[in-house]
Amino acid sequence: MSLVVAEDITKDYRVGEMIVPALRGISFEIEPASFVSFVGPSGSGKTTLLNLIGCLDAPTSGRMTVAGADVGALDRKEGAAFRGANIGFIFQDFNLLPVLTAYENIEYPLLMVQNIPVEERRRRVTALLEAVGMADQAGKRPDQLSGGQKQRVAIARALVTSPKVVLADEPTANLDSKTAHTVVELMKKMRDELQTTFIFSTHDQKLVDEVEILFRLEDGLLASRGNGEG
Amino acid sequence: MYYAYILKELRHHRHRTLVNILGIAVGIALFVSINAVSTAYQQAVSLPFKNLGADLVVQRAEKRAVNSSQAGPSMRGIRLPFSNQLLSTDDLDKLRIFPGIDAMAGSLLLWDFDQGGFRTIMGVDLSQPSLGPVHIKEWLAKGRFPDKKGEVVLEKHYAKFHNTGLGDKFTIGSRSFKVVGLLEIREGAQIASANIYLPMADAQDLVGNESKSVNLVYLRLQNPSRLNQTKTEIMQSMPGISVVSSDAILEVMGGISRISDQFSLVVSLVALAGAVFLIIKTMLGNLVERSREIGILKAVGWTGGDVQKQLMGEVFLQSLIGGIVGVAAGYLISYLLGYLSIPVTTPWEVNLLPAFAKETGAAAQMIRLPVSFSAGLTAAALALSLLAGGLASYFVGRRMAKMKPADILRRL
Repeated sequence: MSLVVAEDITKDYRVGEMIVPALRGISFEIEPASFVSFVGPSGSGKTTLLNLIGCLDAPTSGRMTVAGADVGALDRKEGAAFRGANIGFIFQDFNLLPVLTAYENIEYPLLMVQNIPVEERRRRVTALLEAVGMADQAGKRPDQLSGGQKQRVAIARALVTSPKVVLADEPTANLDSKTAHTVVELMKKMRDELQTTFIFSTHDQKLVDEVEILFRLEDGLLASRGNGEG
Repeated sequence: MYYAYILKELRHHRHRTLVNILGIAVGIALFVSINAVSTAYQQAVSLPFKNLGADLVVQRAEKRAVNSSQAGPSMRGIRLPFSNQLLSTDDLDKLRIFPGIDAMAGSLLLWDFDQGGFRTIMGVDLSQPSLGPVHIKEWLAKGRFPDKKGEVVLEKHYAKFHNTGLGDKFTIGSRSFKVVGLLEIREGAQIASANIYLPMADAQDLVGNESKSVNLVYLRLQNPSRLNQTKTEIMQSMPGISVVSSDAILEVMGGISRISDQFSLVVSLVALAGAVFLIIKTMLGNLVERSREIGILKAVGWTGGDVQKQLMGEVFLQSLIGGIVGVAAGYLISYLLGYLSIPVTTPWEVNLLPAFAKETGAAAQMIRLPVSFSAGLTAAALALSLLAGGLASYFVGRRMAKMKPADILRRL
């Protein structure tokens, strides 16, 4: 059974009096434990699509099913609970909370979203810090970390709630090519270990070479689906 | 609520936190100091009555004082003051059984105009209840109070001015007395402050009072909250009688004494509204900066309620600290103001001196503001600071909580 199913999805934005279509009838399926990328030029609808899968936004029409739930039909509270239980996010700008340490940045989704006892939290965060190679940087704040280190922390944060899907919006855009490669390898490793589906958007050709399934978007339409080289 | 995040957030944005705390603290300090000083002022003004244990002073003015067509009074020798004529036995009996009266005591005030100048004489019956001038027993600085006729106690500054000490002979009118005590008038006791105190019987002999009456009656009420009603009822049932309470002092004082509780509250609320406005403005000003955090928190699964609670936690802590700092600052200001002495003017009805003595300054006495800690005021101030914080966080938090994560993240 597919983990993500998009059926004839459209998404329009209103800009003043104008209606701007971002997605124009897109359908696809993504299997569990996949390593998938949406590629395309800026404005092609990549981020919009990730927002719809991540239950951050609702489609104008069509149906988006994630882990068996019609995410477009969830209200705000249900959406928040669904994201907390099923989805992890990795952002282009890392988006770590600047006042918290690496350890705390990984821990906080567990505090409010999942009522997990302190010992279990510690076990999970420590294991992830080790898995992403950041155990010795646990007490540092984001401004004391390099770009690659921040993205490792962000990956750990995305995985700490044991989500079914991790959505990554241009995760290597702010990294040099060597670090970007390391980060992608780390995501693949985590996918292999945890069987988590990774879906990301990119227009970085080096990253495209690493993915297993590639969806190409153009002007809000799915132009092609193919297997990557990764 | 994520407490560590709250503390770190506040510490990280020190300036913003400090501005919010100071905003609340200034409002609360104003609230506390205005109320504490206003209360102290009213207490200071009520001291002349409080020191005597009296709620009301009753007296009957000379009829001529009302009808000026009559011939002028003699201003020589010992006489009754214009506003303190002898109360009849009927008056005293009526007062004694008047509803709501807990205790009653009387004294006889006399003026003495002689070649040496002017002086006030008060006859006191020490066997009366602990009310009114009987309190002079507590003011004795030296010696004792007269226990038989022919003995007097002098106010110590008056005695010094006349080079008179304990054991000396002292003449009043044509009679000679022995000075057996010196006393010091307590602060704020001007409605019972005379130059000479002597037993009631001697005072009555001096004025030739055959009815053995008094001209000043001090009343203590069973229920002081009924003061105004009782005052009105006495005046209505006893025509020509004048009844005075500490309100009369408030009326002649003006200035800060006119600050009513409502006015204090309004000023304090305006100050607090300013603090709330400041917090809202500061927080809204940082909304763009914080929107990134909110977007992230919501993306990872925090609900709008979670975000609002977190924000309220931050504001609550700032308000609490601001409230505590404000209360401390408010009391500090109040206690510093408490070092000031204020002149408490005695209204003419209970001024023991004749009108011409007003200019001597004797009619007004300097009293230090009795500022004191009030648990009620402190609790109200802290509650107001939390209310201010609650209002600010409600408005800002509601706006933040309504922000859609996709909209926020799209803008980043």
